[in-house]
Amino acid sequence: MNLTVVSVYPTLLGTYGDGGNVMALRHRARLHGIEVDVINIEPGDAVPESAELYVLGGGEDSAQTAAANALRADGSLKRAAERGAAVLAVCAGYQLLGEYFPDANSAATPGLGILDIRTDRLPKRAVGELAADPKEPLTQTLTGYENHAGATHLGPNASALATVRAGIGNGDGSEGATTAHVIGTYLHGPCLARNPQLADLLLGWAIGRDLPFIEEAEVTQLREERLRTVLG
Amino acid sequence: MADTDPTREASAGLRRTDRVRCRIGQRTGKVAVVTLSARTRAAARLGLLTSSLSRKMGRGEGMVIGGRVILRLAPDAIAEMAHDRVAALVSATNGKTSTTRLLATAVEQAGPVISQNTGANMTSGVAVTLASGDPAAQAVLEVDEAYLPAIFRATKPRVIILGNLSRDQLDRMNEVAMIARRWRDMLADATDTTVVANADDPSIVWAARHAPHVTWVAAGQVWTADSAVCLDCGSLLQRDDSTWGCPNCGFARPTPTWTLEWVDDHGVVHGPHDQRFDLPLSLPGRFNAANGAMALVATVELGLDPAESARRMATVESVSGRYAVVKVGELTIRLLLAKNPAGWSELVDVMPPAPTPVIVTINSNAADGRDPSWLWDVPFERLRGRVVVATGDRRRDLAVRLLHAEVDHVVIEDPYAPGAELPDGMRELAVVDCAATYTAFHHLRTSSDRQAARRS
Ligand SMILES: [Zn+2]
Repeated sequence: MNLTVVSVYPTLLGTYGDGGNVMALRHRARLHGIEVDVINIEPGDAVPESAELYVLGGGEDSAQTAAANALRADGSLKRAAERGAAVLAVCAGYQLLGEYFPDANSAATPGLGILDIRTDRLPKRAVGELAADPKEPLTQTLTGYENHAGATHLGPNASALATVRAGIGNGDGSEGATTAHVIGTYLHGPCLARNPQLADLLLGWAIGRDLPFIEEAEVTQLREERLRTVLG
Repeated sequence: MADTDPTREASAGLRRTDRVRCRIGQRTGKVAVVTLSARTRAAARLGLLTSSLSRKMGRGEGMVIGGRVILRLAPDAIAEMAHDRVAALVSATNGKTSTTRLLATAVEQAGPVISQNTGANMTSGVAVTLASGDPAAQAVLEVDEAYLPAIFRATKPRVIILGNLSRDQLDRMNEVAMIARRWRDMLADATDTTVVANADDPSIVWAARHAPHVTWVAAGQVWTADSAVCLDCGSLLQRDDSTWGCPNCGFARPTPTWTLEWVDDHGVVHGPHDQRFDLPLSLPGRFNAANGAMALVATVELGLDPAESARRMATVESVSGRYAVVKVGELTIRLLLAKNPAGWSELVDVMPPAPTPVIVTINSNAADGRDPSWLWDVPFERLRGRVVVATGDRRRDLAVRLLHAEVDHVVIEDPYAPGAELPDGMRELAVVDCAATYTAFHHLRTSSDRQAARRS
């Protein structure tokens, strides 16, 4: 079985080892007997509308604005999300899925309107380990690193991805946002390598059936160490 | 080499280079033109004393505290002590310590040279270095990227080498563009300095292209992820094997005067008038050949003999512990240091081919960067076909990265302990390559020093 994953603008949105999320999807898919075709899309290229899974990473302010403008003009990502494709968006990618986010001069910049969220500035930049307890169907505590200045406010059509146990997340005690098959999060690290259940959830949405969880010792040991470090 | 006079280039360059040649020719150590004020002399003495006390108390090299004392007592000490004798400053995200050592060794052909031997490359380290040693010696100084503008203005170097810019620690955002902008402002009116700049790094070109005197060197760029976008207009740069340019505004790679070629595991530097210099360095890897090429061109700009420079640079075997072969516990290891994804990408290629096992040590103290997500930017896939020992505080992050890269690995807290369960064949290796982040590298260096001290 083959699955197409689109890596959206990796040179603009790839600050925090974000390529690792694509690697993790390929790796987890292989464990489940699924082969992944990865398509890297750069600004100027048309975003394919028919893929099953889209990944956006983090980036600095000017790159984020450029990416948001190009994706709004392109239109395909929003149509794919509305059709039910799975989307993972991290940090700057998360913010630009919303109604608006702050640009380099803190001016509100229009996003894609895929998630019912609005982002402005935190009083102080959030840098450090982040741990959060997820909502159903996820059960394993989410772990990662955050580095952002955004305070993200959820509207009625988005649900929080998790409740913060250590770190800042959205800034109000919640972390991330989700609607249909779209997930936005401040976790990098990259989050799918550290949270394989999240990777499996996205892959399951993409192929249309639930995947059994397969444990890997290296990942379990890393998760235990990180959670012990931040939660004691 | 048919023509050994590279100064027959543009007339401005010729005048400039000849003047430099005269100056450096006059000073073989006997012409002491340095006249320091009583205040600076006293500050320098006290600063050096403080450094040496701090060293004796076992508090590192004492460069920072010594430099602070000097600058507190004599705020203009750097400008005074540097007066007319700074041959070159060297800055880059990666390779500045090695380039500085190579250049300092080459410039010794014209007389004594002072340079840092500890990598202390901020204001205080520069102050202590200038205060120590022969006050008439030429200075070749490594400078931290962020401190370069201030130290450049104070020291007025004859040559400045700008090697490369890439992300260093991820928690310092926007660094590359910000530093390129500050370097550009610094160079705008640098009429007395020749900039030796890497034409293959768009951020370096952007910073240096309006400087009054620039010599472009095609030294290569392995890591392109931090110069994907045009610094003028924000468009995505287009690249092929040999060149790059902006499709929107015309910002493009300048024509280099010097070009590094990598042939059979060593560098060859091609210059104007069919000049050709082999660079048979002892330091490994293409990136050290790039460092050597930049240094070689700098010696040409200083009016020195490039063939002699190449010969001298070949004698440099290790730089502040990098590439040094040391004994730690029961293993003899070659120490490899990398501080950021670009540096790690280069190191992966320096290691011996599979199936030779290697050690990789990852820490996440402040000096290493607290966030190890950069591990996912490093092409560890190139280590496939062997067993990698994952160690350091963040060995479990490394293990997960290696799992995804399909590289066999074992996680060992202390591979140097007696009885550690090392991969087959590792104990039998004459030298084991050990790549480490900054604090892990220094820990290994000091453990090996202690071990050597116990033996002697
Ligand atoms: Zn441009």
